[in-house]
Amino acid sequence: MMNWNLYSRGDKFFAIVVSILIGMFTVATLYPFIYIAAVSFSSGFAAQAGKVVFMPIDATLEAYGYIITDPQFWLSYRNTFIYTIGGTVMSLVFIIPGAYALSRPQLKGRRYFNLFIAFTMWFNAGLIPFFLNMRDLGLLDSMFGIILGFAVNAFNIILLRNFFEAIPQSFEEAARMDGANDFEVLWKVFMPLSKPAIATITLFCIVSRWNGFFWAMVLLQSEEKIPLQVFLRHTIANLSDNDEFAILQTAAGFSAETVTAAIIVCSIIPVLIVYPFIQKYFEKGILLGGVKE
Amino acid sequence: MSGVNLKKIVKAYGAVQVVHGIDLNVAEKEFVVLVGPSGCGKSTTLRMIAGLEEITGGDLTIHGKRMNRVAPKDRDVAMVFQNYALYPHLNVADNMAFGLRIRKMPKDQIKTTISDVAEVLGLTEYLERRPADLSGGQRQRVAMGRAIVRHPKVFLFDEPLSNLDAKLRTQMRAEIKRLHNRLGVTSVYVTHDQVEAMTLADRIVVMNNGAIEQIGTPMELFNNPANVFVASFLGSPPMNQVKGTLTETGAKIGDIELKLPYPINGNAGRDVVVGIRPEHVTLAEGPQTTAMPISLDLVEPLGSEALLHARFGEATLVFKAETQGDIEHLSGVTQVHVPGDLVKLFDAETGRALQLGA
Repeated sequence: MMNWNLYSRGDKFFAIVVSILIGMFTVATLYPFIYIAAVSFSSGFAAQAGKVVFMPIDATLEAYGYIITDPQFWLSYRNTFIYTIGGTVMSLVFIIPGAYALSRPQLKGRRYFNLFIAFTMWFNAGLIPFFLNMRDLGLLDSMFGIILGFAVNAFNIILLRNFFEAIPQSFEEAARMDGANDFEVLWKVFMPLSKPAIATITLFCIVSRWNGFFWAMVLLQSEEKIPLQVFLRHTIANLSDNDEFAILQTAAGFSAETVTAAIIVCSIIPVLIVYPFIQKYFEKGILLGGVKE
Repeated sequence: MSGVNLKKIVKAYGAVQVVHGIDLNVAEKEFVVLVGPSGCGKSTTLRMIAGLEEITGGDLTIHGKRMNRVAPKDRDVAMVFQNYALYPHLNVADNMAFGLRIRKMPKDQIKTTISDVAEVLGLTEYLERRPADLSGGQRQRVAMGRAIVRHPKVFLFDEPLSNLDAKLRTQMRAEIKRLHNRLGVTSVYVTHDQVEAMTLADRIVVMNNGAIEQIGTPMELFNNPANVFVASFLGSPPMNQVKGTLTETGAKIGDIELKLPYPINGNAGRDVVVGIRPEHVTLAEGPQTTAMPISLDLVEPLGSEALLHARFGEATLVFKAETQGDIEHLSGVTQVHVPGDLVKLFDAETGRALQLGA
């Protein structure tokens, strides 16, 4: 790192401006998180009165107490895990072999397959045709439908395909001379060499599945199948104009705001737990395609 | 029985033909080196033998069996790649065991094979290391080990030493030669380095523009190049070539007549290229030499000998001379002596060697 005194005036000015902008961006990103966490631990009155800024006011665990006694919360939590794990596994099952096939020069019609897949990144049928498609396939209100319907993502396939393409061809050739078939080349050579890329797309899948809200709301009707994000939406809608809840909350010291915040905090925790394990790959992975080693 | 047999082998990419029907017979246990400039088709030929490139036309047989449409893994050949192609995520032992595991060799047998080969190659203490923690020479040895453990019928080497520095290259070259002497496996080796070709080969195949120019032992090729291309490719520095015309008693080059000790047999007046090996000229007059006046450009000392870069008329020539510990005496050289019995004659039009003295 260069000594600050060796910076020219222009460089110093630039460094200061950049630091201020990054600082502002960091605050803007972090503050909603801090705010939600603070609200979730505050009393209902404080939250309703808008007194919470940084720290919990009249700190209490009442909101958490309320949600953990709600069986629907646990059911939707479980569903989210099923959608996330099942969906991520399903995605990898399709994406890894697909990307491998598309990266191989010997694949007949490779150019066209690549074109078709890339095409879906820019244009897709849209909400209603997709809904009708799922309906006709009998995948409405189906947990399997949610897992299968969003298994293949063009962006992830292209990301991994580019990574596979950058692996020197001689590795594949050496493995073939050693007697490996396509599956063995993929499983024993390409996958171990592509850990950063696979970790990256795994994280992309996990995050998008975990936060998946819209399609779950559109496609699922049964309460027992909805994921956490849809449960959160229902909670917000229900609690705000529910007289019974209004009486309950006055007595118990929580409010719609604190309960909502508590659910959000609960929904963030698993991603926060997973991220550090996958972060080192993720940082490498986001350079994919941009930098050729 | 023949080791590897290529019969009218053709390779084309679409309409572009890069290998034009070559014939080559590699005997069992023989070490054959394909040598030629970049793009001459030598690597493509090797890759066709390996099965990594499809054969467009002709027949390839290995140990008597036609291999044109056989998958690489079923050809019983092993290949050493230019960039080693060691799997970076596996240690040395696992790299060598990779092919054996795929072939479902029993675990204890794999272990014995690996330790035997590691000992031969001096890799025993590196078995647990990853390729990234090895030097270039060690990686090269692992790449060879990976080929050896499978006990293949044929070894293929695709410029295996070109990523090494000069010193290591010399060392590894000797190791490959020793290994071949010990294992006696049919080997086909591709290089663009004529020193590697000369030192390693039982026979050299000189290729140019997708065709074979000449096949022969290193000394045959060196002493009797079939054409100007082979003459200019083998030897370091390569053979000097000067345009001239045959006379009744020799060859006229520039203002001098080079005396030839054999009859011209009615070829007088024919345009030729006269080939003079840099090491054949002398500074002192000999019994059958012709004096050749030169204007010296540059003297490059190499230690025991020096390279004299000189001009003769339009031609730029290079000669070798003894230094005798000093190059002072070489700076004043104004003429060299060319022994007529050692010069080679080529037809000026076709470039083919003329066998007048034979």
